[in-house]
Amino acid sequence: MSNSDRTTKSLVMSVMARFRSVGLSPPTLIFFVVMAILPLFIQNEYTLRLLVVGLLLGSQAMAFSFTLSSIDIINFGFAAFCGAGAYTSALLVINLGISPWLGFIAGAIVAAVLGLGVGVLTLRLRGLFAACMAWFLGLTLQSLAAVLVDFTRGYLGLPVPFLLDAASSRPYYYVILPIAILTYVVLQGLNQSNIGLACRAIGQNTEAAEASGVNPTKYKVINFTVSCALAGVLGVFHAHFVGVLTPEVMATTHTTEVLALAYIGGRASLWGGLVAALVIIPVFEYLRSIVMEVRFIIYGLLLISVMIFYPEGLTGVVRGVGRLLGKLIRRLRQGTESQS
Amino acid sequence: MDTMLDMIFIGLLRGGLYALMASGLTLVLGVMNISNFAHGELYMVGSYAAYFAGSVFGLHPLLTILIGALAAGATGVLVERTAFHALRTMSRDKWLTNSFLLTVGVSFILQYSAFVIWGPTYKGVPSYWEGFVPLTPTFRLPLDRAFAFVAAVIGVSILWIFLTRTVTGKAIRAVAEDETGAMLVGINIRRMHTLTFALSCLLAGLAGASLLPITPAQPFVGLGPLFKSYFVVILAGFGNVMGSIIGGFLIGLLETVTYYSFGAGWQNVASLIVIMLVLLLKPTGLFGSKQ
Repeated sequence: MSNSDRTTKSLVMSVMARFRSVGLSPPTLIFFVVMAILPLFIQNEYTLRLLVVGLLLGSQAMAFSFTLSSIDIINFGFAAFCGAGAYTSALLVINLGISPWLGFIAGAIVAAVLGLGVGVLTLRLRGLFAACMAWFLGLTLQSLAAVLVDFTRGYLGLPVPFLLDAASSRPYYYVILPIAILTYVVLQGLNQSNIGLACRAIGQNTEAAEASGVNPTKYKVINFTVSCALAGVLGVFHAHFVGVLTPEVMATTHTTEVLALAYIGGRASLWGGLVAALVIIPVFEYLRSIVMEVRFIIYGLLLISVMIFYPEGLTGVVRGVGRLLGKLIRRLRQGTESQS
Repeated sequence: MDTMLDMIFIGLLRGGLYALMASGLTLVLGVMNISNFAHGELYMVGSYAAYFAGSVFGLHPLLTILIGALAAGATGVLVERTAFHALRTMSRDKWLTNSFLLTVGVSFILQYSAFVIWGPTYKGVPSYWEGFVPLTPTFRLPLDRAFAFVAAVIGVSILWIFLTRTVTGKAIRAVAEDETGAMLVGINIRRMHTLTFALSCLLAGLAGASLLPITPAQPFVGLGPLFKSYFVVILAGFGNVMGSIIGGFLIGLLETVTYYSFGAGWQNVASLIVIMLVLLLKPTGLFGSKQ
């Protein structure tokens, strides 16, 4: 018995190690499994839609924090990269009749190329330049989308074919969940790789990193481009999920919403933003008596208080609870050991 | 709008506003190392205050503009003393990023508070002064615009004289150059920070108040001036006050020329191309010398 016990144990260990090597630690694995079976218990279409929106914004927050937490660059045109992906896919699907699934690839490529351009141009300079440049790019793309009425119908809104032939949000949930997991795995994998190590070194002390032979610009550009490509993918999902595109998708307000989520979630972690989105979006919707505008005041207050008083954000809360649980388990174990 | 001269006039008038906004923005960036995203909201505070002073209480236009500027300055003091001071005492790690995000929060709060209190409608005054100044045969300049331009020139000049000729102004510049050194010679850094931020907000408020007849007050009215002033700051080089005054006029001219040659909506494209060229060829900005 002990023999088979040992083999299962070693099997479990090796599987866990495999998962961990792609960035899925036990808590995140449990989290994603819970997220995967959650819709089975939810019949309410509205709640499902909220979850889809939460996952979408949460993934955007993850892609945003990837740049922020490792190389300390604020991608202030994040919504623009999402919007670029969204418009690319929508226009290709409408005009060339390709499948929206191919649109994901096209959207990612266009957003990545734009990100690469901004990165190459500005990332060798102070961080503020990249933030401003990405922001200007966003404002420019937004006004272009508004002006090129022949292509985009401007503020009238571009009707976009849906991704799936389904009336319910349930199938969409099972599209965005793998995207969210993939986003997490890719970003966490990169963070654990040599690239991630180099990026963190640059974020903490650029001169020291440079002195030990790391080319800061190269790694910053890689980091920025990956984040932008993911922004493009998420933008494509947004376009084919909502079904209408206006230049408004690239507005700075959307960037700041993602930014607020990323920071409230915790500036040093990837999953913080995801958790923050999944908590905050439904809570805001639930308090629908609160007008849309008050929501942004709350975002502002939360952002300021997290910045000043609680830099770890939601991640810190979750970690604190985790430590408490760990202590409790250890104490229980000690109790049983002393009994035996 | 057919002659070249008209275009130059319009461009200069626009440029006055940009210079006013950008010089305050770049001052805060240089002295406090804060990239202020809420700068446009101070413009908004100025224009709302002027609306209430002028339209509701019926004060004299000059007094109205003064009240607008002072209201924005007071808001600035409040923000500096509460938010920035708290952040500065908590942590100075990654200050530029963190203080920027703080201003994003401040911007959210100011914008949407205005929205909740006064709603999305435009609140303006028909005009401060009626009448025209005939500039060229084809173009008569409304008196309001002329006055806004004069206010911008006066504001920018006072700032310049203050920074170069007065002891306090020199102290502010000393803080911008080397904070530790300034502290060692006995400059009260905290007071200088508050003063700088208040001054910068005052200028933004002055812009908002003096342009009220042309752009009515609205919760999101500050966004346009905000990103124009960022264009100018990058064009001129971070922290360079004189450069940003000149840069303001340059961007004003550039936008007017694009507007009349290509139509509305293309000004941003033109400005972006110019910024890209500047970043490629001279990343320290047109007038910048140090990185």
